[in-house]
Amino acid sequence: MKGFLDYKPGDTVLHRLDPLTKIFLSVCICAACFLGEEPAFLVFLIGCDLLLGALGGVFDRAVGMFKGLLKLSIFLFVLQLLFVRSGVPLVGQPPFAITDLGVLTGLRLVLRLIGATMPLALLLSVTQMSDLSGVLVQRLHVPYKYAFTLTTAIRFIPVFANALSAIMEAQTARGVAFDTKNPFKKLGLILPLCMPLLISSVSRIHDTAAAAEMRGFTLRTRESQSRRYTFQSGDLVAALIAAALVAAGVLL
Amino acid sequence: MIQFENVTLTYGGAAAVRDLNFTVAPGEFVAVIGANGAGKTTVSKLMNGLLKPTSGRVLLDGVPTTALRTSVLARKIGFLFQNPDRQLCKPTIREEIAFGLALTGRKDAAARTEAVLREFGFDGSRDPFSASRGERQRIALASLIAVEPEVLILDEPTTGLDYRECMAMMARVQSLNAAGTTVVMVCHDMELVLDFARRTLVLKDGTLLLDGETRSVFRNTDVLRRASVLPPQITRLSLRLGDRLQPADTVEEMEAAIRAARQKGVPA
Repeated sequence: MKGFLDYKPGDTVLHRLDPLTKIFLSVCICAACFLGEEPAFLVFLIGCDLLLGALGGVFDRAVGMFKGLLKLSIFLFVLQLLFVRSGVPLVGQPPFAITDLGVLTGLRLVLRLIGATMPLALLLSVTQMSDLSGVLVQRLHVPYKYAFTLTTAIRFIPVFANALSAIMEAQTARGVAFDTKNPFKKLGLILPLCMPLLISSVSRIHDTAAAAEMRGFTLRTRESQSRRYTFQSGDLVAALIAAALVAAGVLL
Repeated sequence: MIQFENVTLTYGGAAAVRDLNFTVAPGEFVAVIGANGAGKTTVSKLMNGLLKPTSGRVLLDGVPTTALRTSVLARKIGFLFQNPDRQLCKPTIREEIAFGLALTGRKDAAARTEAVLREFGFDGSRDPFSASRGERQRIALASLIAVEPEVLILDEPTTGLDYRECMAMMARVQSLNAAGTTVVMVCHDMELVLDFARRTLVLKDGTLLLDGETRSVFRNTDVLRRASVLPPQITRLSLRLGDRLQPADTVEEMEAAIRAARQKGVPA
């Protein structure tokens, strides 16, 4: 999932949506995922996520994200099967049985995890961070320094992911077995990397803060913005679809 | 011995390197030069298995890198990255040097660590992250050298170093090479290439334009122009002076050439 939050330039229908509409749409899909109980509805929401990916020209990224989450989901699904004791036993005998409720709970958990994780990441990958902070300041009256902090934190996720990847590469070249197939062993090897990652992260944050101050960051106010954000008809349609999904989540 | 046989590597449909064929023999000092994006780092990462070829083969002592994990290849190939902070991960220099040895399962790790600390003049109890950029690069190099790799790959090893640090680093690399270690150096500093590398590969857009003895490579101005590479200043001066002086690639050679020309009465 390397680079999954990197901005993908384009002029698709999603790129043209107001950043606030995109946030609203992704929050609504997340809410629908947690409100909906029916697995079929949750699968439909995942389908909506993939459709968003296709509409935004980031379908490959959506599929990559889906595959990554699916791997994690298998682990979580098995945990649910093993630990949920209530319900009708399907396989084995109590207290070590796999129950119908265990299967249903596990299925809901993984479908919700996938359905709720994808939309915000996908919509952020078709939104410039400057637009996101701009709309937060202009429309929601969030003080610029907080909007900037939020968008910088989001912007740094792929940067840190790349830094971690580069550190793992360097350590592999030294002989650390990051190229092992065993995920548990790999996880254990990542812990010692906290030190170089922390050092490079703090250094980068320090540089960014210094650069921002040098450019008059502290003087910026809501009135400083040159770009004005206005809702278009597409935003209204997207907002209505988002509201409908939440309503469907409540009903199903 | 490292062999590239028809090696191509593509990223997302675009070729990073194309149809590369060359061999690096044991004990050689080879430089890889070219403009940004020419494929230099890709070539170096193909050598130690960090990247696997899309087609063709990269062989280390006759074994394809696809058959071995990079962490295993690390026992034979040391890789010094441009940014030492990616390699350093321990709270003291002693632990940092011992870490590489522990990874390769060396039984004499403790003694070897102390020997390398003495050799480089490091205080083993110091935090490597509190050292200067040049020192951190030397610590990273020391931790690689401790393992005594057969091949040392250097990716822009002197970036961010001052002249003194650069020369200290390269002197150590040169002595390793003299002792038999194969050195492959990716470098933008042509003066450094001229001073240390005996053979040079010139890359452009992932293809090998030229492979030859370093001095002759720097005199092939047509190929270097195509690769967007400027020869070292002293070579350019020598080339501009043309037939009036003997070819010279060092200050000493240039002085000798000028003296010889004066004796022959060549007009200034």
